Amino acid sequence: MIEREKGGVPDDALIRSTLAGDEAAFGELVERYKGRAFAVAVGIVGDGDDALDVVQDAFIKAYYKLKGFRFGSSFYTWFYRLLVNQAIDRWRKSARSAEVPFDESWLSEDASPPDSFAYPRTPEDLLRDRELGDALQRAVDALPEYHRAVIVLREVDGMAYDEIAKVLGCSVGTVMSRLHYARGKLKESLKSQREG
Amino acid sequence: MMDCRTAQGKILAKADVLLSRQDEAGLADHLAGCPACAADDAAIVGTGPVLRALTAIRSMEKAPALDAMWTRVRAGIEESRESRWRFSWLARWAWIPAAVALAVSALLFYPSGTDQSPYRPSSFDVAVENVESDVATVALVDKGEDLPTVIWIIEDAKT
Repeated sequence: MIEREKGGVPDDALIRSTLAGDEAAFGELVERYKGRAFAVAVGIVGDGDDALDVVQDAFIKAYYKLKGFRFGSSFYTWFYRLLVNQAIDRWRKSARSAEVPFDESWLSEDASPPDSFAYPRTPEDLLRDRELGDALQRAVDALPEYHRAVIVLREVDGMAYDEIAKVLGCSVGTVMSRLHYARGKLKESLKSQREG
Repeated sequence: MMDCRTAQGKILAKADVLLSRQDEAGLADHLAGCPACAADDAAIVGTGPVLRALTAIRSMEKAPALDAMWTRVRAGIEESRESRWRFSWLARWAWIPAAVALAVSALLFYPSGTDQSPYRPSSFDVAVENVESDVATVALVDKGEDLPTVIWIIEDAKT
């Protein structure tokens, strides 16, 4: 599905060409996945520059590990595993990971209903309500790293549960429970922001 | 009529697209009459679009750097290749100085001028069983002051 997104050469063929010494074929894979990879990376590490470094490092790592790729399996699932691990490593090393305590007040049960239930759905809408985006990012940053990876892979990348399970090396049940937890936390942050 | 506690579970199940039509209808009825649960539902439903919009903004902010990603990756691959080559070159030739150091140490510290063996038995006794038999034992024995010590023995032609 993914490899035909741009109507180009299948991923497997590009990998074979890369392994045969055609570096430009790997460039094609980079072009194909860099946007989605950045979206996942920035969701996990939070910072745009850090995310660029993560994407770059993940592609370099993928290039040197390509010999170990099992043909017939999905390149992007394989690559995302490298990417997510790289992003989590980066997050652990960055000072930001220690700076974002989770605000327990978001969990208050007696919150009154907001004036409006509508949330921004487009970048343009969100630019007019940047505080909401920042609040959500803080809430994402406060999630445990694997919960953060799950919500980003599901909500930003649109991955299926079984694919997320493969990327993170856990069961579908674990994915669902992490997703459940993460959604609960993010819901509270959005509500809290709305209620001022 | 669904209560709030049940509705909360259903709201999350709805986000995971795990709700039956019947449950979805029951939840819709509850949300229509419960502003608190409706707010929760809206926030859950809103999480995905807000996250995607936030990501899109960040991608737009970094668009020039993203456009140059392959250039960055190629440079990184080249740099990594050079450092791997340097490392493999080091690994290939590192044994030479190590071997030289070992040889020098051997020459410097090898015990020289020893004119006697470290163990000198006081007397020897060689005992040979019947050489015609299948069993033959030859032993070099130090009789010593109190107890004899076997220094070397061949039993059935095995040392």
